[in-house]
Amino acid sequence: MTDDKDVLRDVWFGRIPTCFTLYQDEITEREAEPYYLLLPRVSYLTLVTDKVKKHFQKALRQEDVSEIWFEYEGTPLKWHYPIGLLFDLLASSSALPWNITVHFKSFPEKDLLHCPSKDAVEAHFMSCMKEADALKHKSQVINEMQKKDHKQLWMGLQNDRFDQFWAINRKLMEYPPEENGFRYIPFRIYQKLGLSTLYYPGTMQTKVGLELRERDLPASERYLPAYASPVLGIKWPV
Amino acid sequence: MEDEFFGEKCFQYYCAEFIKHSQQIGDGWEWKTAKDCSDGYMCKTEFQIKNGTTPSHLGTPASVHTGFPTEENLELPVDDSEVMESAAASKVIKYEYHVLYSCSYQVPVLYFRASFLDGKPLSLTDIWEGVHECYKTRLLQGPWDTITQQEHPILGQPFFVLHPCKTNEFMTAVLKHPQKINRNVNYITSWLSIMGPVVGLNLPLSYAKATSQDE
Repeated sequence: MTDDKDVLRDVWFGRIPTCFTLYQDEITEREAEPYYLLLPRVSYLTLVTDKVKKHFQKALRQEDVSEIWFEYEGTPLKWHYPIGLLFDLLASSSALPWNITVHFKSFPEKDLLHCPSKDAVEAHFMSCMKEADALKHKSQVINEMQKKDHKQLWMGLQNDRFDQFWAINRKLMEYPPEENGFRYIPFRIYQKLGLSTLYYPGTMQTKVGLELRERDLPASERYLPAYASPVLGIKWPV
Repeated sequence: MEDEFFGEKCFQYYCAEFIKHSQQIGDGWEWKTAKDCSDGYMCKTEFQIKNGTTPSHLGTPASVHTGFPTEENLELPVDDSEVMESAAASKVIKYEYHVLYSCSYQVPVLYFRASFLDGKPLSLTDIWEGVHECYKTRLLQGPWDTITQQEHPILGQPFFVLHPCKTNEFMTAVLKHPQKINRNVNYITSWLSIMGPVVGLNLPLSYAKATSQDE
């Protein structure tokens, strides 16, 4: 893992220049200027947009403010997907900055999870980490960790602290030397609806954590326009 | 996946057995498949009254899609006097329960959503507050580890979910004894009878008898 440190750092520190604009139908008391921000690819929208929220709330009346949510070209943005994933799926072919619209009304209940507090983001993140370890180590490594280690993983992500995060995450990326790898490699493939279907050979399906044997993939399919979560430190086994 | 304690085929088999009995007693469970793949899940819709104390059940609405209509699948089996008493400060809530299989944990998982009759969904706080008193202590020890909102793996919509990470632990304990005495157990029946009541879903006792009758 040590020789990959440069790659891990590049992935961790990836940023997307974003321009937030208030939805035009929001009733404003004063002008709401667009707000620019560099978003971390590995983080989550509701975790890194406190300043965005404060900025736009100043332009609205108290009674017109309820839960914030974000949208790109009419598509509500799922805050529980990593920011980099959302961008790659929806906006990678458009020019930068990424233009996101901010809403404070009419929360789309059928499309988006609520995010009542940072606790919701933490719960979601930790739940992903646990599920990944269920596949890698039958949950043994993550369950043997103390609560403070779990907290450190989360704080590392929340505060953008690479070293703090990886001090714990490296344990989740290890396997006994006598085995050649993890029990199963956890990854998720996200497809935008409407694009042509990727061909999946027999052992692969679009589910988390299926057994992947490299030799089953034809050479052309080894590069997939898939998002392998860098937070889980997964490398594509090429 | 090799070394499956409870694989997906097992899951589908036990769900099918479970649904057979559900159809016999008009309990409203159905099997749904996702488009373009063999993934499927079990689901049921139910109406409950919340009157500020313990919710009382109105039973299952007649299921439109059951292939095998029975005499029980008629009106809501409601006791009129019961409804009158609690009507004052009560609300009817529609619950949708889904049972899916998790490949990662190799266990079933209980998803659900709840809304008032006007379509307004319940919030996570509403759900936590609605958990039965006898499970409240456990919930309060770690609500964020127990019931949260997540994306339904097949429908892609927001659902509440009972976290599955401890399921294997208690199911191993539950299954140990019957396995020792060579007694048939429907995993889904046992599992759902444990998880369901935490979130307002109760199983009629006849499910347990149905399993032992298969011996």
